[in-house]
Amino acid sequence: MCLGIESTAHTFGASIVNDGRIITNVNRTYRPPPGIGIHPRKASEHHVTVSEDVVAKAIKSPNGHQFHPDIIAYAAGPGLGPCLRIGATVARALASFLDRPLVPVHHGVAHLDIAMSLGKARDPLAVLISGGHTAMLVHLNNRWRVYGETQDITLGNVLDMFGREAKLPPPGGRSVEDLAKRGHRLLDLPYTVKGNDVAYSGLLTAAVNMFHKGAGVEDVCFSLQEIAFSMLSEAVERSLVQTRRDEVVVAGGVAANSRLREMLESVAKDHDASFYQVPVEYSGDCGAQIACSGSLAFKHGAKVSNADSYVIPRWRMDEVDVPWVPRN
Amino acid sequence: MGASKLEMEPFHRGAEANLFLSTIDSWKVVVKQRISKAYRNASLDDKIRRERTLSEVSTMHDAKAAGVKAPSITGVEAETDTFSMTFVDGTIARDCLDGMSPREATTLFEKLGAMIGLLHSGGIVHGDLTTSNIMVTLERDPFLVDFGMARRSSDPEDRGVDLHLLQLSIVTSHLKDASPLVKALATGYSKTAGRAIHESSWAKAREISRRGRYFAIR
Repeated sequence: MCLGIESTAHTFGASIVNDGRIITNVNRTYRPPPGIGIHPRKASEHHVTVSEDVVAKAIKSPNGHQFHPDIIAYAAGPGLGPCLRIGATVARALASFLDRPLVPVHHGVAHLDIAMSLGKARDPLAVLISGGHTAMLVHLNNRWRVYGETQDITLGNVLDMFGREAKLPPPGGRSVEDLAKRGHRLLDLPYTVKGNDVAYSGLLTAAVNMFHKGAGVEDVCFSLQEIAFSMLSEAVERSLVQTRRDEVVVAGGVAANSRLREMLESVAKDHDASFYQVPVEYSGDCGAQIACSGSLAFKHGAKVSNADSYVIPRWRMDEVDVPWVPRN
Repeated sequence: MGASKLEMEPFHRGAEANLFLSTIDSWKVVVKQRISKAYRNASLDDKIRRERTLSEVSTMHDAKAAGVKAPSITGVEAETDTFSMTFVDGTIARDCLDGMSPREATTLFEKLGAMIGLLHSGGIVHGDLTTSNIMVTLERDPFLVDFGMARRSSDPEDRGVDLHLLQLSIVTSHLKDASPLVKALATGYSKTAGRAIHESSWAKAREISRRGRYFAIR
């Protein structure tokens, strides 16, 4: 039984996973005021305030039974330093008080672990789309290998930053999606695929400029989505053909967008690949992903002493050994 | 060309086009038809297919003039996003690389490097340089195919994208260790690209590879 602690960015979460089953998953998300991004210190203060309550709820079943985890896993990175340190501090305290092993987890790898567990995927092309990542990955020679990714900002950044510029109610992704449904005119925005990478900063700037010059916000949102998602879908399609996987798994918070889902599903179907997308409650940052990944990592010998339990704000997916993929 | 009137037999499915085998007089040809993508907005889809078909045909022709081994264009039908080219007999590197001996593989990559050097010094970039787009003939000579993302450019950034993507395609799709192959590629490249292009292209490729997220040192 593993207790997982998530605190890489805006969410503080705790979850119990037992034998691959998610037993509890309790999360609280810091919401900055409209028009403002996440301030790392403000988010970390939020995490300090909610941590005790979140952990207490996570280790209790609905009928009041108390769980006793055998492993404490925490998200060691990548993420915002002040936020990561809160989760790590809570995890260290629990591990030393309960005398249980402490397991550091890579947040991005964890997104894929929970996606593969829920979707019963074996050896997929993984598409990770979140505030921190926009990448296509395949597992080869013991690690996730990035075949394509964003060269500048992530898809999550594009939607959030456009939402803030246009003063839409947060979260930006949902506002853009709702407005896009009422737009229908495709505006001329830059489409940038470089090799198998995408670059979004020019697209964001152009969309913001069009909005300020008076283009209808519905049409800008519609065009922004169509262009940004088509770029990604094209890169996913090329990745699928080059890496020859027959499963596509989509993970990460931004994956909740239904137009994006429709496009990626169409790509997978076109190439006879099975398609799985993580349900909304587990696609955003959550404790369950960390508990799920921590259980797998511990089985393969991952653990760390309290003294060595650093946080790693910059940590590449392809720097982590992941011997538990392909799954059996 | 009248692709609609040719007898065609399905040959290969790529990411964005279907390939067919056919014959024009005594020439064995490959007909490439860019297909509409259901996921894409229709006007964006039309624009992308038309632009890429036309630029593919002209850059492929220019690449040959620069000394690159590539199929020859035998016909174009812009209104159906279709063109035909001579058939190249061989295997794609994606399929045969892992079965090659280390010496065969490095020899291939040195030749390939020399060819990409010619392409780049000729003012063209490929844009989608992966092991799926390199044909290896029976004589073990590399041919470049699929110029759909190719364009005229002398920007080190675009040349760097080619070198970066080729390395990525080895790391993500092949069991072979990439480093001796990349070394051979650079050796071949330096011989035809000239010193200035050689240095700026590889420096850009290194820079691009570190642009991704969460690198500790950039």
